[in-house]
Amino acid sequence: MTTLRSVTRQLFERLRDETADVDADFVVAPTSLDETAAVLAAAAEVEIPTTFLGGGTHVGYGNAVAADLVVTSAGLNRIIDWRPDDLTVIVQAGVPIDTLEAEIASRNQTAVFPEIASGATVGGVVAAGLSGFRRLRYGPIRDRILQVRIATGYGKVITGGSPVVKSSTGYGVPRLATGSFGTLGMIGEVMLKLWSRPMATATGEVSNASEAYAETYRPLAALETSEGSFLYLGGPDTQITSQARAVGAEPEPGLAWPEPVNAAIRLEFRVPARFIRPAIDRAKRLGATRWIAEHGVGRVDAGVGAIDPKSFAAARAWAESTGGALVVVATGDAGVDPWGTPPVSIEIQRRIKSAFDPSGICNPGIMPGGV
Amino acid sequence: MTESPDTLPSLRGRSLAGHMDVVAQLAELLGPDRVRAHPLDLLIYAKDSGVSSGEAAVVALPESTGEVAEVMRIAAAAGMPMVARGAGTGLAGGAIGVPGSVLIVLTRMNEIFEIDEVGATAWVGPGVINLELSNVLENRGLHFAPDPASQQSATVGGNVGTNAGGPHCLAEGSTIAHVLGMEVVTADGEVVTLGGAAPDPPGYDLRGLVVGSEGTLAIATRILVRLTRNPPDTVTMLIAFTGITDATRTVSEIISSGLVPAALEMLDGPMIEAVENFVHAGLPVEAGAVLLAEVVGHPDCTAAEASLIREISARNDATEIRTASNEAERVLLWKGRKAAFGAIAQSAPDYYLNDTVVPRTRFVDVVDETYAIADRYGLRLLNIFHAGDGNFHPLVSYDASEPGMTEKVIEASHEMAQAAIAAGGTLSGEHGIGVEKRDLMSQVFSPDDLDAQARIREAFDPLGLLNPGKVLPEGSRRFDRPTT
Repeated sequence: MTTLRSVTRQLFERLRDETADVDADFVVAPTSLDETAAVLAAAAEVEIPTTFLGGGTHVGYGNAVAADLVVTSAGLNRIIDWRPDDLTVIVQAGVPIDTLEAEIASRNQTAVFPEIASGATVGGVVAAGLSGFRRLRYGPIRDRILQVRIATGYGKVITGGSPVVKSSTGYGVPRLATGSFGTLGMIGEVMLKLWSRPMATATGEVSNASEAYAETYRPLAALETSEGSFLYLGGPDTQITSQARAVGAEPEPGLAWPEPVNAAIRLEFRVPARFIRPAIDRAKRLGATRWIAEHGVGRVDAGVGAIDPKSFAAARAWAESTGGALVVVATGDAGVDPWGTPPVSIEIQRRIKSAFDPSGICNPGIMPGGV
Repeated sequence: MTESPDTLPSLRGRSLAGHMDVVAQLAELLGPDRVRAHPLDLLIYAKDSGVSSGEAAVVALPESTGEVAEVMRIAAAAGMPMVARGAGTGLAGGAIGVPGSVLIVLTRMNEIFEIDEVGATAWVGPGVINLELSNVLENRGLHFAPDPASQQSATVGGNVGTNAGGPHCLAEGSTIAHVLGMEVVTADGEVVTLGGAAPDPPGYDLRGLVVGSEGTLAIATRILVRLTRNPPDTVTMLIAFTGITDATRTVSEIISSGLVPAALEMLDGPMIEAVENFVHAGLPVEAGAVLLAEVVGHPDCTAAEASLIREISARNDATEIRTASNEAERVLLWKGRKAAFGAIAQSAPDYYLNDTVVPRTRFVDVVDETYAIADRYGLRLLNIFHAGDGNFHPLVSYDASEPGMTEKVIEASHEMAQAAIAAGGTLSGEHGIGVEKRDLMSQVFSPDDLDAQARIREAFDPLGLLNPGKVLPEGSRRFDRPTT
């Protein structure tokens, strides 16, 4: 690894010297965590700002990053150890979530990854902290990351968490890593807790998602969208049918998820669940053409054509006043801070960042407050 | 074990006069009633419910966030370590004092501030007792899911400190899955809110780090808990087997069938006998093992799941399957499980409780090996398991007044922990590390892993004043340590 490290450093030195005026990316695809750590150690030594790439489905999420080096997870593409009898799997970051879900579906299991994020990778979804609609039933993604292996910004491979479904052993490093946007290093491998898929599933259109959610015991999801409101149920056939009919829905077998909100600018309201209705209204007033609201969760994903700074600022101020946030995910420059007011713990956040990435090379500035 | 935790070298031999000054400042802040420095008072707080004991210089009993922050500023200014403590039901020595420390006892901060029934959340003080919270919520159709055996006296703040579990965290997850946000005071006395009721707060999940950090990162002064809807139907079953092997195989088959019951608990023969003698819950004393299985949800679902569990149990030679037909019977079935530790306290003067976790597929092997270790040491072993999630509590009952006995028990217990680790498991499922398991951490984490955790600690608490000597072994911080 020492040889790799010194060769990589020489390459990076040349990259830095020769491309100073050129907007060029240098792409590497390590095939192990150790290689990734060696690459990052070398990048740190010559201070090359680095970003990470999985499936590329969420590029543009967070503050813009000016990186000269791209480390992709394409070479970390193995499902290492699926233990169906234990409902766990160890998987590398570059595995597409659809591939993993398809594999474990053979034993009727699911990692509860986002349902409509086709092309996303395990590493990307964990780094961005993306939960699927079924979080209403199974909890957010951070509840399922049992263990992580990270190549840190200081060039070491570290393992955090425990390889079992329950642990009070040391700090919750997997939770820190989930949603850390590659600012601590590269998440190379994770161990996930899996769930069995329900015996049967069904989708029913309802007139009022909020009431349907309140009157049903633990549905998989209750979505209110620009195309209608839907209740998603799982369990034995008889239960699905009786629960759906109780809220006036005619259940169709299977889970018919909405189409993704594909817009150049997506607004994400994240508010306490009781504020979901006003959040939907705000999204509409901001010009949302398509939107998906998660009842019981408090998230509204809305697509808009452009942002009017004044009404956007008012909506963000409202979202923050509820204790939530209004996050912007844009493929280009939307003209606003994607995150909003930094968290009050920003000083600790900065210290965590520099503890894992002392040279500040890993996705510099992508997080709230430019962390 | 009488080992006292390591402390910062600079604090050793600190003059009593220095402490007296702090005691005076604290007394001025809180009044003399809520500051205790008399040796007899300190003795009351010397232990938790485990076997370690510690010492503090002074005990403070704040009643508000502002007071906690002020206490911490006074302690920090004097360079004194700070140890947060709830009801003291912990088993790993996480909440015992360290030499020269201010022990911050949070039991008086027991207010429930706000309950949001629609959002199913509540803001509570760290001193609120776990079971009292669920009792208060009962008529609203909600409960707080973590239910450690100590729930009648354990505080929510303590649950947060250890990431406490309990039988029902099999399906619902440990405390970490039920804490959405918190107000904490950092080592320098700053009050900071982490997380909140909205999903996915932007920024690092510091709340996820503080839960389970045993008071080493910050002290929680208000906690936003997620509440769980009471299920429309509950089926509780007691399933008896002639031996432990049939029971463990049943557990493995239930889990691999994909069913995640609300709870799946197991007691072995010696434990059944001890419990039955104590609570007279009608447990089958002739059984070699019993499973307590509970499924919750819509009645159609519970019926299907219960019947699957019965089928798997029968296939594995269950000798008896009892189903609680009403709430009173259900409470009776649980009574045996919940009274286990009280029962042990009656049957032997001392006990040492392990808390290892293994992958569920390795459960059968590791349980066998644990019994073999106890046999080799000639120790009496009773077992109680959160079988569904592979978390088990081999419990050695002994008499500490026998010379050398405590050392022998600890040695055997460490071997049991090693057996779990060798099978791909870990040190603690719900009790935490404290001082008890601190020096075993290097068996589950590499030096680089421990260094990463020490970095996190340093980011929160640069001066190392919060619960020093707990959780991470000495020398965990290794690389690029700042020289300042």
